[in-house]
Amino acid sequence: MTAQMLVQIPLLLMAGILLVPVIPTRLRARAARWDQGGVSGLVLATLAMAFWMLPRSLDASTTDPLVALAKFLTVPLLIGLPLAFSWPRAGFIVRGVFLTEFVATFFRLGWLYRVSPIRLCNNYGLGDQQRLGNYMLWIGGGLLAWLALKLLAGNFKSLSPSSSPGAPG
Amino acid sequence: MMTTSDHMSAPTAVLRTVVLTVGLLLVGVAGLGVATDGFHAFTTETARRVAVHRNPPAVPATVPLVNQDGVHFTLADLQGKWVLVDFVYTRCMTICTVLGADFAQLERELAEPIAQDRIQLLSISFDLARDTPAELASYLTRFRGAGPGWQAAIPLTDDGLARLEDAFGITVIPDKMGGYTHNAAIHLVDPTGRLVDIFDLGQRDQVRAALQRELAS
Amino acid sequence: MSILYPQNEMLESRERMVLNLYLVTSLVLFLVMMVLGLLMRLAQGAWMDMSPTLFYQVMTAHGAGMVGTAALASSAVMWFFLRKYVPLKTSIFLANYVLFMIGAVLLLVAIFIGKFAGAWTFLYPLPVQSLGVWSVGSAVLFMVGFLIIGVGFLLFYLDAMRGVIRVYGNLGRGLGLQWLFSGTVDPDHPKTVVASTMVIIVNSLGILGGAVVIVMSLINAYDPEIALNALFAKNLIYFFGHVFINITIYMAVIGVYELLPRYTGRRWGMSRPFLWAWAASTLMVMIVYPHHLLMDFAMPRWMAVTGQVISYTSGLPVFTVTAYGALTNIHRSRMRWRIPAMLLILSMFGWAAGIVPAIIDATISVNHVMHNTLWVPGHFHFYLLLGVLPMQFAFMYHLIGRDTDRSVSRSDRLGFWMYLSGGLAFVFMFLAGGHASVPRRWATHFPGWQVYDQVASLSAALVIVALSLFTVRICLGLMHTPSSAEPAPAGD
Ligand code: HEM
Ligand SMILES: [Cu+2]
Repeated sequence: MTAQMLVQIPLLLMAGILLVPVIPTRLRARAARWDQGGVSGLVLATLAMAFWMLPRSLDASTTDPLVALAKFLTVPLLIGLPLAFSWPRAGFIVRGVFLTEFVATFFRLGWLYRVSPIRLCNNYGLGDQQRLGNYMLWIGGGLLAWLALKLLAGNFKSLSPSSSPGAPG
Repeated sequence: MMTTSDHMSAPTAVLRTVVLTVGLLLVGVAGLGVATDGFHAFTTETARRVAVHRNPPAVPATVPLVNQDGVHFTLADLQGKWVLVDFVYTRCMTICTVLGADFAQLERELAEPIAQDRIQLLSISFDLARDTPAELASYLTRFRGAGPGWQAAIPLTDDGLARLEDAFGITVIPDKMGGYTHNAAIHLVDPTGRLVDIFDLGQRDQVRAALQRELAS
Repeated sequence: MSILYPQNEMLESRERMVLNLYLVTSLVLFLVMMVLGLLMRLAQGAWMDMSPTLFYQVMTAHGAGMVGTAALASSAVMWFFLRKYVPLKTSIFLANYVLFMIGAVLLLVAIFIGKFAGAWTFLYPLPVQSLGVWSVGSAVLFMVGFLIIGVGFLLFYLDAMRGVIRVYGNLGRGLGLQWLFSGTVDPDHPKTVVASTMVIIVNSLGILGGAVVIVMSLINAYDPEIALNALFAKNLIYFFGHVFINITIYMAVIGVYELLPRYTGRRWGMSRPFLWAWAASTLMVMIVYPHHLLMDFAMPRWMAVTGQVISYTSGLPVFTVTAYGALTNIHRSRMRWRIPAMLLILSMFGWAAGIVPAIIDATISVNHVMHNTLWVPGHFHFYLLLGVLPMQFAFMYHLIGRDTDRSVSRSDRLGFWMYLSGGLAFVFMFLAGGHASVPRRWATHFPGWQVYDQVASLSAALVIVALSLFTVRICLGLMHTPSSAEPAPAGD
């Protein structure tokens, strides 16, 4: 379970991120017209992530090869790709909302996995689940600390009035 | 933000984005709804229950089994009775003992209908490698489940076990200490051989109530 | 010339419209919520019949409504002054308002139609396990309402964050952390930016905590078998609640920093202790609190107590520099005694006086004497009713000040003294009740306690009359103030 959620899915997601340059520039420009401020892409990625966070989906992907195939296709294509595609276009506020929700999700899932008396996935043991819960809390805490540090002391070239506004930062 | 790049098309781009986002949200939420049986079943375990309630599946009636006395039988032989089924392995020191205690208690509480041959309790082992009729017998005596109302059995073949696990929705994973991790529940099979309900460990009262309701009607 | 109304505070018509929405809505909501408060006091004093069920619904509405409205009005103060220094988007400010209203409607529906009465702090596991008084659906609605309001505020803070980062580089520089140990403090670094930055940081964390715990409660509502750790959930809710309500004063105090010097005619400079105080308060909330929450799920008692004490004392540094600064600013100045100035001074007094019962409470709550008596509402009504609200009213009176520049009208003066005396009497009745060990959150009081309730009812009525005067005056004033933004001629 830990391996699946914290290794496999992130790797698949990364694969999606690497796919962006493969897409023809024309197509990307087209899509950008439907993705003002990166909102559509981030919403798509969020929804797809929500689906793969359901214990049921994770379970099914280890028992049903069709679902597994779906996972191998959709995590890169519906999460990684739109994320990487839309992120540079997202402004401060859109990113802020997304990151807040992202961090909150780690805390929620971590908490859930720690306290759930039942195994949420039939294919994984309770110990595994609780260990994953702890990892997720640590990851959430780490992300939060990193964000706080960045905001407090970091460098935001893109937001300074001199540089071109809207560039990734 | 203050994107200047596609300045000309900005208003239409906003409009398109809004349309697309709303569309994605609708599709997405609907999709999640379908994937969770209308936001009811987030885990495989609940999904299994929802599915059983909605559409009781027939259990494999022809899988050859052998019981604690070495007698061969199939689930078809039990038709005509209400059967409570659980899945265990006899060396289990954790939830299987809870299941065992539940069954022992139920056997006592339901003594009357059991005596009338209207109810049967059946523990099926999934540990084909180690469990034998003798192990099953000692498992039963451990819980004082000596009477004919509670039987234990092992499938004779791997294929038979797989069909049973599939029908009842049992997932068994070997742990690293020679044991297994598995989901535990009490399954109710009706006299026509359909799986009609699934209960959690410890839900003895609900099991009894359901049976009493069925037997009275 | 414009000492009172500097050029860079002028509003464009769109900005003015949104600001007016905030202010008028706040005033009306305050009035309605105060009437609900009065009804509760009347019921406790046996001057009115109210079923306990209804009492708890009213209490939930009053608590949630007041906290939300105080935050709404305070964020208007922050927005108004912060936008002078950093770019803020009016559309985001408006979005916060719209989301607030949607959330408020959900809360009201959950309370008065769904009969939800789990109190605004919706203590787990109360929200979903009501023993049949309200349905899970209304608890869910209530929590979703809170979530939507939280999203609105998050947008507002993110916009402010972006503004501060854009102008000052990062939040640390907004807070002035670079001058804590060395270097010459920029005397023109705005206090508004320091305070706003603290608010942004702390309340974003608070909202994050709220978003986690509310969604977890929602999961628990769907699957009661997933039992949340009750102590942890409770602490997280308290974190969210405390931060949210405490922050109203840090947003509103911006009005004190900006306006008081204008009325005293004295500069109120930036200083190193000022920066230290705000940094200390920020760090206390940021580091100490989450640490307490995350370190251990099963918090030992002493940790919970320390957390409680810190939540009260985290405000002390800020209070101290503000009170000291305000006093030196007023001392021997030629004060223009107008309504905004009077309200500002009242607010400093209310803030100071409200802290005292809190400290007493924090020290003796360890032995459970005053805790959960009316002492607690006594403390927070003191600093909310006589601290935060006067700051907000001072700002509103200042805005319409062009009309009232010359002198203080009779009705304003009357309103001020009615508000002050009624408010004081009202909170002292809570404190007296607490002293007599009257428990808080009881729908029915023993006859021996009812004197307090009755005096409190009369005082509350006085406050309501005073606020009605304020409301009429301010709303008329807002309508008269020109929508286009020409500089107004100032007083002298
Ligand atoms: C005339 C004005 C007011 C009156 C008559 C009033 C009255 C009351 C009463 C009777 C209670 C219940 C006390 C108990 O028995 O536990 C209460 C609670 C409360 N009030 Fe007020 N109040 C007033 C103003 C305010 C203001 C201005 C605020 C905040 C800005 C506020 C926030 C609260 C909160 C948060 C609670 C706690 C509710 C709970 O325990 O869940 N009140 N108020
Ligand atoms: Cu077992």
